[in-house]
Amino acid sequence: MSYLLTSAFLFALGVYGVLTRRTAILVFLSIELMLNAANLSLVGFARAYGLDGQVAALMVIAIAAAEVAVGLGLIVAIFRHRESTAVDDLSELRG
Amino acid sequence: MSPLEALALLFLLGTGVLVVTLRNAIHAALALILNFLILAGLYVALDARFLGFIQIIVYAGAIVVLFLFVIMLLFAAQGEVGFDPLVRSKPLAALLALGVAGVLLSGLWGLRLAFTQDLKGGLPQALGPLLYGDWLFVLLAVGFLLMAATVVAVALVEPGKASRTQEAEKREEVVR
Repeated sequence: MSYLLTSAFLFALGVYGVLTRRTAILVFLSIELMLNAANLSLVGFARAYGLDGQVAALMVIAIAAAEVAVGLGLIVAIFRHRESTAVDDLSELRG
Repeated sequence: MSPLEALALLFLLGTGVLVVTLRNAIHAALALILNFLILAGLYVALDARFLGFIQIIVYAGAIVVLFLFVIMLLFAAQGEVGFDPLVRSKPLAALLALGVAGVLLSGLWGLRLAFTQDLKGGLPQALGPLLYGDWLFVLLAVGFLLMAATVVAVALVEPGKASRTQEAEKREEVVR
């Protein structure tokens, strides 16, 4: 049970990071923290409900890898265009 | 809960705090690696050995190193850049994060779980039949997603695109 409580607090830490960080890369790091908090709770619940939780955590890791590839590609493309990765500089939809 | 487990959970939360507060992005990424290594140890303690090693290899070894690579490529180690559109919003953000924690904890409140499942150590031999049984289509979908993500990542940072438009502009000027 203490693992599940810890995972809830880790997720909240990730939320705090997403809200306060100003660089896109650091926002991404916080999102990774949240994904891992979810994984920890999946593995924790697997002890009560069976191995399916662990397989789901494996899928989450694979999806996180895909998300990081696309996200960092986006950040590099934006940096080339704008010379900046601060999220507040990207508040308009114009290119 | 043994004191070692409590210590590991404490370290997990401590490195999490470092990830969201350190000013230097490289230091934050290194704290994230530490966080993932502790998490891998916890997975092994929770009978998820295969997942623990995947966590070390894929997350700490590949994903965060990719992050470090991009931080160094873009000289983006300085975390406090740009303007702050909402001054002194950090207490508000902390309050909101605490609210999220409250919602999650309320979901756990009164939950009577019996941690009695036999997980066979979480070894690949135990995960394999599930992965190629009930989860087969999910596995295929995730594989397709990974392929699509790879194609998109390559297409996004294709270097030829920008220079091609510049060349076209030059050619137009010459024609004019």
